[in-house]
Amino acid sequence: MTIAKHADTPTMQRPKVEVDTSHRYGPLLVHEHIKFDVYANEFICICGPSGCGKTTLLDTLAGILKPTRGQVLIDGAPADPKRQSISFVFQEPSTFPWLTVRQNVATGLAIRSAAKAEIDRKVDEIINVVGLRGAEGYYPYQISGGMKQRVAIARAFATDADLILMDEPFVSLDQPTRERMQQEVLDIWRHRKRTVIFVTHNLEEAVFLGDRIIVLSNKPGRVIADIAVRMPRPRDPVSPEFMELRAQCMHLLHPPAR
Amino acid sequence: MVATAQPIETTPEPVKPRTTLQTAAWNVASLLFALGAWQLFSIVLASPFFPGPDRIVSAFIQLATRGDVTGNSLWTHAWVSVQRVLVGFGLGVIVGVPMGLLMGLYPRLYASTRSVIEPFRFIPPIAWIPLAIIFFSGLPRFAFLIFLGAVFPVFTSTLVGVARVEPIHRKVGIVHGASKLWILRHVVIPTVLPDILAGMRVGLGTAWLTIVAAELAGGISTGLGRMMVNYAELLQVPHVIVGMLLIGLIGFLMNEILLAIEKRLFRWRWSVSL
Repeated sequence: MTIAKHADTPTMQRPKVEVDTSHRYGPLLVHEHIKFDVYANEFICICGPSGCGKTTLLDTLAGILKPTRGQVLIDGAPADPKRQSISFVFQEPSTFPWLTVRQNVATGLAIRSAAKAEIDRKVDEIINVVGLRGAEGYYPYQISGGMKQRVAIARAFATDADLILMDEPFVSLDQPTRERMQQEVLDIWRHRKRTVIFVTHNLEEAVFLGDRIIVLSNKPGRVIADIAVRMPRPRDPVSPEFMELRAQCMHLLHPPAR
Repeated sequence: MVATAQPIETTPEPVKPRTTLQTAAWNVASLLFALGAWQLFSIVLASPFFPGPDRIVSAFIQLATRGDVTGNSLWTHAWVSVQRVLVGFGLGVIVGVPMGLLMGLYPRLYASTRSVIEPFRFIPPIAWIPLAIIFFSGLPRFAFLIFLGAVFPVFTSTLVGVARVEPIHRKVGIVHGASKLWILRHVVIPTVLPDILAGMRVGLGTAWLTIVAAELAGGISTGLGRMMVNYAELLQVPHVIVGMLLIGLIGFLMNEILLAIEKRLFRWRWSVSL
């Protein structure tokens, strides 16, 4: 069996991220007792129907939104972008149009006021990894949507972020570009060990990428499953195990009518 | 095997882009045509109140080399006017930009002070001339009036520009732990800069408008507007027109300088608006 309920994660170490929150906007309950842990260097995918409050969850994880109950702890301290190093890859284009590719990649590092030499070294390294070599001098209007998203990913991975949050980063890309970028993100993640929380409503993407898949319910959002994915990478999206896990997630989200 | 269909020719003849040289040649031709027509009219009308370009040129030479009736050279008049514009306009930018940024970032501040700002905005600088004559003399008088003419366009376009800041760009800063100052410097200002420059070009236009009006009115001996009034009183039309053309030329050059700055600063944009 390649699929197991998330039960045997290492318990010796303290989780990198501990989430235990509820959130409501006025009378509207968005999250009801969302609770899960993330361990260092894990790649977590969060899946849920639209309206499960993913933006709220990400903002909470990033420490820019205070939940009405509970908190998010990163290395035991409440999430706060001014204290911890958190990076974010957004769904919509988020590169600064007035900066070149290289300057955009350096933005995250520059905010954390790293030394010039250190910024240069780290930016050079990540530019090689994400394959932006040669495009450093371009402005965003001169490159494709896929390239722009690659810049945003490089910007996130260039920092020494404790946690990288990715908000459906590939949703606006065409299928071939999306598949290539998924593989690239895995390569970068393997190359520069980081803890990643990746939100998507594409189940195939979640099964392809994640060490674990956390499935959220419709509003109010609750964790309905936390599934460890044991398939070795690279995963084959047409293998029986892959399809089975995908189907399992699908049934969790849309229970089959009896 | 399916036979490949013959491609249907749909692409229209590409429009040949004009070279800079061709454009320049057309501009010279238009200019010559306008001057020729003007000259022709003046010959037909044969009136001292409708001088042709030839008489403008001789008036120009006279003013540039021997000076005007009061002994001031054309260049003195021009330089004095330019100085007044630069000081007043500079003050307008120094006050208008921070004011626009502040009120753009804190819309409540603007909303609760509108009753003070907006009526002022609609008092034309020219309407301030009588008071300016009473309260100030010399450079401060003109600087004050030009300031009033330049500050509002700069302020308004900065204010509007701040609203154009993309929330996502701000959020990039926030999630990476940026301070408010960082976001101001690296997100807000780069976004607003094109609007600031656009406001400056409008402000410069208003500044020129104001300086001439102020110089026409004030009891002062120098400035292009003053020179024009002096000659108008003597019914010397060619000299008045020299003043007009010089004002147009200087304004045009200042605008070109701002445009060149924009081009250099905003390489990241698709195109620079005119």
